[in-house]
Amino acid sequence: MTRRIKNIIMYGFLIIVSFFSVFPLYWMVSAATNKSVDVINGKLIPGAYLLENIKCLWGNQDVTAAFMNSVKYSALLTLVSLLICSLAGYGFEIYHDKGKDLVMSIILMAMMVPFVATLIPLFQMVSKWGLLNSTLGFVLPSISTPFLIMMFRQSARSFPHDIIEAARIDGLSETRIFFQMFFPTMRSTYAAAMTITFMNAWNSYLWPKVIMTTAESITMPMVVSNLVQGYVTDYGMLMCAVLICTLPTAIVFFVLQKSFAEGITGAVK
Amino acid sequence: MKKKIIALLLSCAMMATLVGCGAKEEAAATTESAPAAEAEAAAEEAAPAAAAEGENTLTVWCWDPAFNLNAMYEAEKVYQKDHPDFKLNVVEVPWQDIQTKITTAATSGDYSTLPDIFLMQDNAFQKNVLAFPDLCVDLAASGIDFSQFAAGKTAYSVIDGKNFGVPFDNGAVIGCYRTDVLAEAGFTVDDFTDITWDEYLEKGKVVLEKTGKPLISMQAGECDLIMMMLQSAGASLFNEDGTANIANNDVLKEVVNVYGELRTAGVLTEVNSWDEYVGSITSGNVAGTINGCWIMASIQTAADQSGNWAITNMPKLVAANGTNYSNNGGSSWAVASNCKNTELAFDFLASTFAGSNELYDNILPSGAIATWAPAAGSDAYGLANDFFGGDAVSAKIVEYSTHVPTNITGAYYYEARDAVAVASTNAINGADLQSELDNAQAQVEGYIGQ
Repeated sequence: MTRRIKNIIMYGFLIIVSFFSVFPLYWMVSAATNKSVDVINGKLIPGAYLLENIKCLWGNQDVTAAFMNSVKYSALLTLVSLLICSLAGYGFEIYHDKGKDLVMSIILMAMMVPFVATLIPLFQMVSKWGLLNSTLGFVLPSISTPFLIMMFRQSARSFPHDIIEAARIDGLSETRIFFQMFFPTMRSTYAAAMTITFMNAWNSYLWPKVIMTTAESITMPMVVSNLVQGYVTDYGMLMCAVLICTLPTAIVFFVLQKSFAEGITGAVK
Repeated sequence: MKKKIIALLLSCAMMATLVGCGAKEEAAATTESAPAAEAEAAAEEAAPAAAAEGENTLTVWCWDPAFNLNAMYEAEKVYQKDHPDFKLNVVEVPWQDIQTKITTAATSGDYSTLPDIFLMQDNAFQKNVLAFPDLCVDLAASGIDFSQFAAGKTAYSVIDGKNFGVPFDNGAVIGCYRTDVLAEAGFTVDDFTDITWDEYLEKGKVVLEKTGKPLISMQAGECDLIMMMLQSAGASLFNEDGTANIANNDVLKEVVNVYGELRTAGVLTEVNSWDEYVGSITSGNVAGTINGCWIMASIQTAADQSGNWAITNMPKLVAANGTNYSNNGGSSWAVASNCKNTELAFDFLASTFAGSNELYDNILPSGAIATWAPAAGSDAYGLANDFFGGDAVSAKIVEYSTHVPTNITGAYYYEARDAVAVASTNAINGADLQSELDNAQAQVEGYIGQ
């Protein structure tokens, strides 16, 4: 009996919590299908205005270009950053000595420096190198992040050193140990890191907003921001853009969900 | 052998990444110079190769496609009639982003990233020009007759007697009323024209009693209405010399008291967000609103209320000897110091936004009302607007804008505004007004002293 009451309380609590987390998403989807006036007046049930909103959105903004830009920037950043950070994290753990540990602590300290503090010097550098409005300019500053390096270092810690020794005795080179043994074993860590990096890259706003000055180089978050600038905001169209902007990260997250959870727990083991 | 193959593959992968970046970089570089290239191509086609790259192209930054971008495209068409080679490269950049880009460019000393012309919020104009003296070009050499613009509007972009902005959209304050609701309470819109705030309060009480609807809704914690009332009496939060004028500002005290009375009586209802504010108007929860004339665009989204709205001027402050006119919002065009062809930029602005009736007629349907006085004389401005009871609202608003008293925004307008919003909210909720204003004054002086 007590167990049943406990269950009722627990499920009741969980239902309330999940309602609060799911409701904004539901509202986003339903608002994307309604007229602006209906959204403002608090209509919650989905309407039949989705196509009209999509048409307005494409007429108002170059969504295709922005979407392709976002995909391009985020995919490239994710790939390069995963390669570099995993190599670094692996190196710091497998070949560690006092000097490297010190460097690692310095890198970790860099996590404390907010991005805004480095914004102006970074902008000056990128502008001097002529990389404004370029993919490289977007990717370079966040190619290696202390968090990812730390994550890969932690997961390399759980990678049995005996295997590496055995592989070395069998004559496998260090590069091949990394790519053929470490890489496949740590798939879940890569998945977690990929989810995090992709989400950050996709949602990044301040940096692209500072360095992208042409209409052709805008990204999806910038499109959303453009839509709330007018004297009149079309909320249906805005929510439609937000929906399109959310989809890729949601897809990436759902596809890698299982590995993501494994990777995160593995990293802090 | 295998080692070598892997090394080769790895380096190939690295190369591919770098080349990929490079290619995109080049592509971006091409797009960047695309207008220039197009201009070049056009020049080649037109035989005389004299038109070197970018000579006839101006880059513009502004926000809001339906409003500001549309105005720029129309201006391009108007200017192209006499200058067929002319081209505009309009980039949509939200205002906050323009501010961020200005700050980044100015702080790093690299103005080359800025466009030729950009739109700036009126309230931020003095702040930016004072903080970054190298940002904008003085428009004295442009030949624009600034006396043709409403004085209250032009004053926003005048610093040390120099004009830095070409005034664009009108932010003249209008009182909007639901005529059907007023009729229910036995009033017409004329009963709300040229009135004082005391009369507004008394009539508001009657409307509330008879219809259950407050006269106006405002966003809690924001001080839009307070700032509009303040300017209607020609008062500012700053003195001429840039010092803060909050603690001993008698007009401000009267304004906060009036606002408090309206709220206590229920004639003014407070909502939590901008969306709720717009919603309260379009869903018919209030009998009207007072705001910059651009609010008409939001009101008109409630198509079912067509014909039931009317506009008139705002109430005035009695003790401060105020007027029935004020301003809220609006923006002006600035020419960046980075502009590659200032003469072209000057001529373009002088013959469009400061000299073309045609332009203002063309952009009127988008809701953009001029502050350029000659525009009001055109036929388009005299047309009746059925949504607002067949009234010629556009001409009316231009007329209002000519009566708006000037005010001083200074370098810390937004900071002072926030401080006053907090002080007035606390005072209306029961705190002592004088000590709240003293706090606000001290806070703003802290910013100025920095």
